[in-house]
Amino acid sequence: MLTPKLTAIRLPGIQRGYEPEQPIRFSHRLHAGEMQISCQYCHSGAERSRHAGIPAASVCMNCHRFVTAPLGAVRAEDELAAKENRPPRRVIAPELRKLYDALGLDDDLRRDPAKPQRPIAWVKVHNLPDFAYFDHRPHVAAGVACQTCHGPVETMERMRQVADLTMGWCVNCHRDANRTGIAGHPVYASIDCAVCHY
Amino acid sequence: MSAEGANRYWRALEERGAATAAEGPDEFAARREGIDLFLSRRGFLKAAGFGAAGALLASCARAPVQEAIPFLSAPEEIVPGHALYYASTCAGCSAACGMLVKSRDGRPIKLEGNAEHPLSRGALCAAGQASILGLYDSHRLRSPLHRGQRASWEEVDRAVGERIATISKNGGAVRFLSSTITGPTIRAEIDRFLGSFADGRHVVYDPLSCSAILDAHERTHGARVLPRYLFDRAEVIASFDADFLGTWIAPVEFAAAWRAGRDLEAKPPRFSYHVQIEPLLSVTGSKADRRIRIAPRELGPALSHLAGLLAKKAGLTFSSPPPADPELSAALATLADRLWQARRRSLVVCGSQDVATQVACNFANEILQNYGNTLDVERPSYQKQGNDRALQELLSEISAGKVAALFIAAANPVSELPGGENIAAALDKLPLVVSFASHRDETADHAHFVCPDHHPLESWSDAEPVAGIISVTQPVIRPLGQTRSLVETLSTWRGRPTPAYEIFQASWRSRIFARQSQETSFQRFWDRAVHDGVAAVEPARFSPRPFDVSAVKPAAPAKAGAAEGLSLVLYAKVAMLAGQHAENPWLQELPDPISKVAWDNYACLAPATAAALGVAEGDVVRLDFGAGSLELPAYVQPGQHDGVVAVALGYGRKGTARFAGIGPRWLDAEPSVGRDGLVGVDASGALELTDGVLRYVREGVRIAKTGRTRPLACTQTHHTITVPDMFAANGSVRRPVVQETTYAAWQGNPAAGREGEEAESEDLWPDDHPYNGHRWAMAIDLTACTGCSACVVACQVENNIPVVGRDEVRRHREMHWLRIDRYYSGSQAEVDVVYEPMLCQQCENAPCETVCPVLATVHSEEGLNEQVYNRCVGTRYCANNCPYKTRRFNWFNYPHQDPFANLVLNPDVAVRSRGVMEKCSFCVQRIQQAKIEAKQAGQPVADGAIQPACQQTCPAGAIVFGDLNDRSSRVAAAVANPRRFRVLEEMNVRPSVNYLRVVRNRDETDGEKSHG
Repeated sequence: MLTPKLTAIRLPGIQRGYEPEQPIRFSHRLHAGEMQISCQYCHSGAERSRHAGIPAASVCMNCHRFVTAPLGAVRAEDELAAKENRPPRRVIAPELRKLYDALGLDDDLRRDPAKPQRPIAWVKVHNLPDFAYFDHRPHVAAGVACQTCHGPVETMERMRQVADLTMGWCVNCHRDANRTGIAGHPVYASIDCAVCHY
Repeated sequence: MSAEGANRYWRALEERGAATAAEGPDEFAARREGIDLFLSRRGFLKAAGFGAAGALLASCARAPVQEAIPFLSAPEEIVPGHALYYASTCAGCSAACGMLVKSRDGRPIKLEGNAEHPLSRGALCAAGQASILGLYDSHRLRSPLHRGQRASWEEVDRAVGERIATISKNGGAVRFLSSTITGPTIRAEIDRFLGSFADGRHVVYDPLSCSAILDAHERTHGARVLPRYLFDRAEVIASFDADFLGTWIAPVEFAAAWRAGRDLEAKPPRFSYHVQIEPLLSVTGSKADRRIRIAPRELGPALSHLAGLLAKKAGLTFSSPPPADPELSAALATLADRLWQARRRSLVVCGSQDVATQVACNFANEILQNYGNTLDVERPSYQKQGNDRALQELLSEISAGKVAALFIAAANPVSELPGGENIAAALDKLPLVVSFASHRDETADHAHFVCPDHHPLESWSDAEPVAGIISVTQPVIRPLGQTRSLVETLSTWRGRPTPAYEIFQASWRSRIFARQSQETSFQRFWDRAVHDGVAAVEPARFSPRPFDVSAVKPAAPAKAGAAEGLSLVLYAKVAMLAGQHAENPWLQELPDPISKVAWDNYACLAPATAAALGVAEGDVVRLDFGAGSLELPAYVQPGQHDGVVAVALGYGRKGTARFAGIGPRWLDAEPSVGRDGLVGVDASGALELTDGVLRYVREGVRIAKTGRTRPLACTQTHHTITVPDMFAANGSVRRPVVQETTYAAWQGNPAAGREGEEAESEDLWPDDHPYNGHRWAMAIDLTACTGCSACVVACQVENNIPVVGRDEVRRHREMHWLRIDRYYSGSQAEVDVVYEPMLCQQCENAPCETVCPVLATVHSEEGLNEQVYNRCVGTRYCANNCPYKTRRFNWFNYPHQDPFANLVLNPDVAVRSRGVMEKCSFCVQRIQQAKIEAKQAGQPVADGAIQPACQQTCPAGAIVFGDLNDRSSRVAAAVANPRRFRVLEEMNVRPSVNYLRVVRNRDETDGEKSHG
């Protein structure tokens, strides 16, 4: 009756399709899809702790220290500057401006003591209830691809929850994995209650 | 044998007197009043049904938005969800055990022992485990106070600086009063501060004083030293009222050492002989092989007589008259023989505050050549430095108005010392009183300035508990308030404000680095010390002068019948000590190991005395000693000397008024505090500071009933698991829930003491659940368990177990997942004690699993009995069916009321709400963590990698957890031990928790005699 396609009717507690607006319009399609940056470059917690985590702004700055705008916009400013016979100004894209503001950086990307720093409050998309203790590490260690649970993230402009994240959905995958293995090698995914509920 | 065996152990006097256990205490008598409902049953169900339907509709709302806020610039070592461990030093008492602080997201949530610390060897006591809650105490002062009003540090520094300048100019007397501070840096800073005055002195006192030991060594060895006691080297231990496993000096270190001397699994087995001679039943006395009750005034003469007997064996001319009691006299003679046979490997310790008695104790050790072997004064302990004579002089100086400025740190003299009101009145008259207390305690109320020191978890500090071993304390969190380190405050007032870190670095560079030669770079030495938490350096050796025999004087025993009335003995409870932890709800709710009473202190009376007076438990009695009186409920304590009434110190503290509303607020709730709004009664008025010694015994105390009653929150009859006769099947073997034997019997047959057959009976369940992977099990050695209850508090911290308050405890609703059942055997006067930690036994054939209607409790593939909180609907059938009564039900949303205190909650464990059953999970969160880490590393889980909170903190190492399928694991060895038994084995529930029988170092005949 309630097939997965009828996303308009949602059972209580299931947030599939949740696609909240984020404080900065970060595009996974650009970074993970086009740039092919590895998931764990930013979400490094996935193999070190229970939470994959959202990267600190310092991780963004690894690249965005230099990359402040799309290439097209930079080239356009270069040409304009050449035409007007002046040194090119730094172009800063509006979303990156938000990042630099959070870090309290001025137009030259230097720390401006007058500007306050405020950490970025991302909206968490994949939420499990408090009584479920999910740990990324064994899944990453077993070779489960991130897309298995999080969907085709590299195609998403805005992050959304693709999977059910219900217990039945988790247990089904555990049972299947015990039968067929993951990426060719056998795994043992326990379905003991205490593996997730304690 | 079985019928007799079933009644051999008893927990409460009511059980002992009952003809059959079925007529035992009626647990429900008090609650049998009718409940008046304004609503009929039918009406209630209708309303509930409508309410449920409404709730279901209303619940279809959107989930709240959750935010994830990462760092802007993440520190390298912080991984969200990953705990960091920092080495530090426990500040629960002056023993300075090493500890590791588990820190999540930049805040400490659990304290654990530091296994590399040479003294505490990885353990922490109950007070140490609970001390973390003090960090998140909303009553802690956040800023300095000036005359009770909040002030800024600038104002206070300015005002204090002015007054100090005046005092310095006029040459007034400046005194610094504190409890024992072992840290070389802090001591040096205090000395430096006092050095800037013409008449500056640091006076140290310990509320649990060992001043007599120090004074005695001054007489016999030439200086006030406290020996370092090495119980692991002693084969015969004679303790005269020294509770070294409970509250005396360094119980964690002593318990570990004592246990090492009683290792039956060692090759060859070691088993010391421990005799305790004491007036009260203490934790140490309950573990002794032989325990002798004695009146306090006879302790000195008895020890003196023992010294005389030893002197005779050594050919010295010293003798002291024997005690009047022939049994005691014979016991002392036997003890002298055994001590003499084990000379150089024996130890006599004494907890008395009578200097002459302590001199006799030194003499006994000297004759036995124990100095340099089992007790060491050349590398002494610094854990107690109190000088009661200096304290007495200071107090008379203060009352004479001769002190110009008094600084008080780590001490609460108004509350801890006798004559507190007089001290307070005298303080009010002094020109300058500064307190460094962290709370508005009784003394701080009379201080002009309160300059709160950081909490130890926020501070840099050091400690030298024993000469040559320096423990480091490092901060694990930024100070939560505007407090300031003591050394920084003193440096500011000296005119050279310096941050605490720099002071410690400088001190270590100049004082401590020079005392070692292994490391040539100071930076490396410092880094290593901070990392390890401990540094071994060259001790400041003390060269004692030859033993001065002339200092020893024989002591005549008191004439029989010379004293009227009772002897009032003031003692310290394991959880409360002298009251420094009175504001810690975990410690208030911890049932005392001996009496099993929580949330109160009481007047302990021996059964014979209580019967003669017609006093029952809960009757409020009035104790009249010369200088005052105390009114508090009575408690009947088996094993106590008949002429003694005992009251615990550390209660009646002003700060306990905060517990008035603790626990669930519902219709029938009663407050956790007494009539005067405080928990317990302050007994410090009965102490005496006379003749240079703080005395804990008063003679000639009169006792009378007041006619009032105050029922005590006593847990000893809660959750009884012995099977009453009327429920037992005819002809079945009912084994006692604790089993014990003697050393002599054990040497002949390691399985001695086993009751009944070992063979497992048939099982109706098919064996289709093999344990192919891990098979978790636990073994608890009852010989080692001292009942100290550190495991109970550790479990509470680790698993977010709530505090329920006194009234709920009285209703048998205490929430501790792990409890220590204390069983007596023997007559009411001369009792033997066995402690049995009882936790969920993780039964293979669990009676709870079969009756849960929603399968909220199931068995895992690794042998755990799992409790799934989110599935539980609160039927409580599982608790009903549990034969061990280890399941705890959340009757209320036991408030984690204080949001600040919630910072200590363990994020890895769910916080349960009302209506959910909970129980020990073998710390499954730790099991999961270890398994995942092992999986990542591609290694099998190593034995010992998983330590449940209880195992980790146990000073005696009594608890072992591990994988039974790993044949080389410690738990597999324990299960194969012939001493192993399981509780209620006859029920065929196949528990995974195994116990190792108690072995007492007795001859067979002795064993028979003591069970009268």
